[in-house]
Amino acid sequence: MKASAFEYVRVSSVDEAVAQLAELGDEAKVLAGGQSLVPLLNLRLANPAYLVDINRIGELNFITNGSGVRVGALARHRDVERSELVARVNPLLAAAVKLIGHAAIRNRGTIGGSVAHADPAAELPTILVALDGEIEARSSRGARTIAAVDFFDGFLTTTLQPDELLTEVRFPSLPTGGGWSIQEFSRRSGDFGVVTVVVTLATGNNGTISEASVAFGGVAGTAVRAPSAEAALAGQTPSAELWKAASQEAAAVLDPPGDLHSTPEHRRHLAAVLTERALVEAYGRLGQEA
Amino acid sequence: MRLVGANVPRVEDRRILTGRGHYVDDIQLPHMLHATFLRSPLAHARITGLDATGARQAPGVIAVYTGADMKEISKPIRPVIEMGLTPEYYALVTDKVFFVGDLVAMVVAESRQQAEDACELIEVDYDPLPPVLTYETALDPAVAPLFGDLDSNILATSHTEGGDVEAVFAEADRVIEVELSQHRIANVPMETRGLVADYDDGSGQLTVHAATQSPQGLRIQLATTLEHPLDKVLVLTQDVGGAFGLKGNIFREDFCACIATKQIGRPVKWIEDRNEHLLASGHAREEKISAQVAVTDAGDILGIKAELTMDQGAYPGLPFGASVFPAFITLLLPGPYKVKGYSCDAKVVTTNKCTYVAYRGPWAMETWTRERLIDIVAHELGLDPAEVRRRNFQEGAEDDRLITGLSLWGITSRYTLDRALELIDYAQVRKDQQVARDAGRCVGVGFATFIEAAPGPPEMRIGGGMFGGEQAKVRLEADGQVTVITAQSPHGQGHETTLAQVVADEMGVAMDQVRVVHGDTRLTPFSVVGTGGSRAATWASGAALMNARKVKEKVLAIAAAQLEVADEDLEILDGMITPRGVPSKAVPLAQIALQATLSPTSLPPGTDPNLEANERFLGEGITGSGWSGGTHACVVEVDLGTGAVKIVRYVVVEDCGRVINPAIVEGQIRGGVAQGIGQVLYERAAYDDEGNFLAGTFMDYLLPTATEIPTIEIEHVESDPDGEIGFRGVGEGGMIVAPAALTNAVEDALLPFGAKVTEQYLPPAKVLKLAGVI
Amino acid sequence: MQVELIVNGSNYKAPVEPQRTLADFLRDDLRLTGTHLGCEHGVCGACTVIVDGQAVRSCLMFAVQADGSEVMTIEGLEKDGRLHPLQEAFRDCHSFQCGFCTPGFVMTALALIEEGTAPASEEELREELSGNLCRCTGYQSIVEGVAEAIRRTTETGAIGAVESGAS
Repeated sequence: MKASAFEYVRVSSVDEAVAQLAELGDEAKVLAGGQSLVPLLNLRLANPAYLVDINRIGELNFITNGSGVRVGALARHRDVERSELVARVNPLLAAAVKLIGHAAIRNRGTIGGSVAHADPAAELPTILVALDGEIEARSSRGARTIAAVDFFDGFLTTTLQPDELLTEVRFPSLPTGGGWSIQEFSRRSGDFGVVTVVVTLATGNNGTISEASVAFGGVAGTAVRAPSAEAALAGQTPSAELWKAASQEAAAVLDPPGDLHSTPEHRRHLAAVLTERALVEAYGRLGQEA
Repeated sequence: MRLVGANVPRVEDRRILTGRGHYVDDIQLPHMLHATFLRSPLAHARITGLDATGARQAPGVIAVYTGADMKEISKPIRPVIEMGLTPEYYALVTDKVFFVGDLVAMVVAESRQQAEDACELIEVDYDPLPPVLTYETALDPAVAPLFGDLDSNILATSHTEGGDVEAVFAEADRVIEVELSQHRIANVPMETRGLVADYDDGSGQLTVHAATQSPQGLRIQLATTLEHPLDKVLVLTQDVGGAFGLKGNIFREDFCACIATKQIGRPVKWIEDRNEHLLASGHAREEKISAQVAVTDAGDILGIKAELTMDQGAYPGLPFGASVFPAFITLLLPGPYKVKGYSCDAKVVTTNKCTYVAYRGPWAMETWTRERLIDIVAHELGLDPAEVRRRNFQEGAEDDRLITGLSLWGITSRYTLDRALELIDYAQVRKDQQVARDAGRCVGVGFATFIEAAPGPPEMRIGGGMFGGEQAKVRLEADGQVTVITAQSPHGQGHETTLAQVVADEMGVAMDQVRVVHGDTRLTPFSVVGTGGSRAATWASGAALMNARKVKEKVLAIAAAQLEVADEDLEILDGMITPRGVPSKAVPLAQIALQATLSPTSLPPGTDPNLEANERFLGEGITGSGWSGGTHACVVEVDLGTGAVKIVRYVVVEDCGRVINPAIVEGQIRGGVAQGIGQVLYERAAYDDEGNFLAGTFMDYLLPTATEIPTIEIEHVESDPDGEIGFRGVGEGGMIVAPAALTNAVEDALLPFGAKVTEQYLPPAKVLKLAGVI
Repeated sequence: MQVELIVNGSNYKAPVEPQRTLADFLRDDLRLTGTHLGCEHGVCGACTVIVDGQAVRSCLMFAVQADGSEVMTIEGLEKDGRLHPLQEAFRDCHSFQCGFCTPGFVMTALALIEEGTAPASEEELREELSGNLCRCTGYQSIVEGVAEAIRRTTETGAIGAVESGAS
């Protein structure tokens, strides 16, 4: 299908962008990488009156380090994938980005775009929820910081207002000396995960678990944490039995959807299996130089 | 033979590699318009109101057509050759819609985008009706027939018997019953459907630029249905981006575009988008078989009783409706085995779904059913499936026959099984399997054997077989080039190369001296099927060879008279007509050709200056058994955590007689295997309980990628390669047998869990269910 | 709107509506029909071209977004009648049948080769190619063709006859 007509506005600064969004509100959609938006337009599942193209906003294209990796909305997946800084400071993020689609998609797709699109099966929302990340948004009314858990509101839905532009995403650091893992099961290479599990782990001086974060993608309307599993891990001594118990706990509370690619029972089972694999891998990475 | 058998680089390649192919969407004509279709959102409904006023007034719109218009300006669509029951229907729906995606209206506008914008303005009122979506509902006599002019939703029935099936069942040690179901999938070539229909009012000529497997078939159907003089319908086909059987059909959209161009007087282009394609182009393979197998406890397969039901969707395919295919399934189901008693009852039903179309080996249900049954029997009897096959194979001796009658002389099934198991190192695989099982890993090995009538045994070839053989025209041009005009309509098979190889060898010229012409109905011979049924290697090659020989004879007669030698003492080497052993007297082929063209009366008396031949090849010179076939074997590992199936090794031993171009043959085999893997592990053309189609994008209909398809090892068996036409068809084999080999391997892997695979679709969730894990 | 860009080394300036994709612009306005449309939802890769040195799905980009960019399509590989080593490798390895997916694969592979980070193993190579769909070949001959192209370009030390300026 061919996308229906729209007015095209190209902006080159954040101020310009928010001014446009203030005026156009929900008549406009922001065009960044286009890898999620343009298929919707081509399928006529969306037909905004205006597209605000933010691709030339240089100030939004950055990757820096400051209490976590701070990524501008326009940083391409490909740049994050290849960033030496990210590989060093947050290898979980580097690993997650490699799983996004295929090279051509990563060349154009942006961190901001993926996060704003809020597909619960996508890698970045799951990472953000696992790490308690933050999203920075700007509008003509000012800037605000939104915690990941408050940002993702439902299937493809965020709490961004129509006049707000997502400007930055902050991925908090992994626990010092901690381990991490991302386990994604997809039908084919590059597909969205049927179920994705992200785990971070740290142990204290006595070897028991001091920090644990378990997050799922693909099991609900948004990426979700597994608080009961995390509670089951806290303060415990690592062991194969612990991983098994915690992963069963994590899966038991889920009520996943069924679709063409999987059934609720299968997703629940995957959640347990992948959590266990993630815990094993994360534990194996403890203490490694990032 | 020097070119036949060699991996000659393809003639087609340069234009494709440099982006200069000519696919139908590449065509732009002056004043061309674009069509799009409004499609039904409901599976079954009566249209109670339709208002296209808004659409007609929309920017860029030239015309909007509905079923009422079609009824006025066109006839009901009927196949040129009637085969089975056909309801009355037109190019657009007239009162009821019969599947989600059915054609409600056509908008023709200056651009595709404008046409789609206008489509959104058409208002339609639907009165929903209960949809027929399952075999049970379709077979239920209490359910009203979908089509008012038919008595029921059963379109065709047949009953076939071979041997004394009741006696055979009576003497069995046991009877094993299984219900096997094959799910709905789709051909999905990378190029969707489409055409440019161009009517010239001045001359009355309707030119159709089509992506079709059968230009002549399309032409005659258009002429008949549109009541347009046949000699004023021209179909042109250049490059086609794959078809796998789909584009042998003639579609209602084709009629619509032609009607529009005739009405408007401007060219009309319709290019299907992928969503339409998945929804409405054609689906395949939705069949089930309830089978009973009579066996001895020692593993003899005495008899098979089968009940086949096929879901053809709503509208019948054109020209080949679904009703055509059960006959092939029925005929071949017993396969190369010593089955002594057999019966098969087949039914074809209509449902509120997309039309059933032929897809690469459309009768493949026979192989899947039989090879699944053999494994199920083996497992129940505690026998090795390889041994059960070996025990039951027919040898291919002169008297060996399918229980349905056809001669099996010359089949090499036993050899291909033995060789495939040797290549995969079956004994070691079984040892490795045990080691893996002990370590908690889930490994399986599966194999399956098939035979394909390509072109089939002698009795199938009488009078040129089902389609009356094939015609080709071969002409020696004035400059010494050889033109071969074929009825084939290639869409990836490399006929421009393979036919040139055959003719170049026959004529004694270099490859680049031969030019193959196809896809122009002013030039090409009539064939209703065009490219399909794996017929090119035998029928098309045979026709090209036969006519090349006749041209060669004419040329040699002229040269012999001029050189005062006997015809038999001449040979053509690299374009030079040479008396054997006397190269100094050689005369260029081109010289004779030029003379014949410029001054035909100066040729020796009694010789024929008309250096072309255009005869119908009826099969003389076809040697060998006529059966292609082979065995595929694969090793899989199942991840019991996720249900993923990894194909660790895949081995093919395939026999298609003499191979014309090994690289091309291997490409065909691997492509077919990849589709078979897709069919089992990834692809499903799924509907929900209300008949809504669920797999309308490539995010939903999953085609396997380079990471899902393994390396496929191939060994060719060239049985009976000698003789004139020792080639047999090969294009469909991969798809016919791969699903059987793969499902057999998965069941083998899951045997410790008591799994029995009776549904062909094995996504991860299903695999874990079979393993009892979920 | 006006869009100005370089395609295969030539300058183009043309009026274009915002909703026109780069793919449609190349095919219909510039008549470079080698880039094909297989899905228009960014999955099949048949529409892959190179924009400012990177492989991109041209069906997911609007022509206006390519304003000021350098684009290379399949038509841009051949130079003075000579095929690029990648095209030669594809031909020699029988890496395609119907050819519809081929331009997309060639451009994807070209980007891969030009980046210089050629995959070390067949498994990695297949993964890099998994964003392009083919229905005819079963992929093996495509993988061989790309592997052969990598071998040939590495041996000659040259990336190939790509001098359009795309970096």
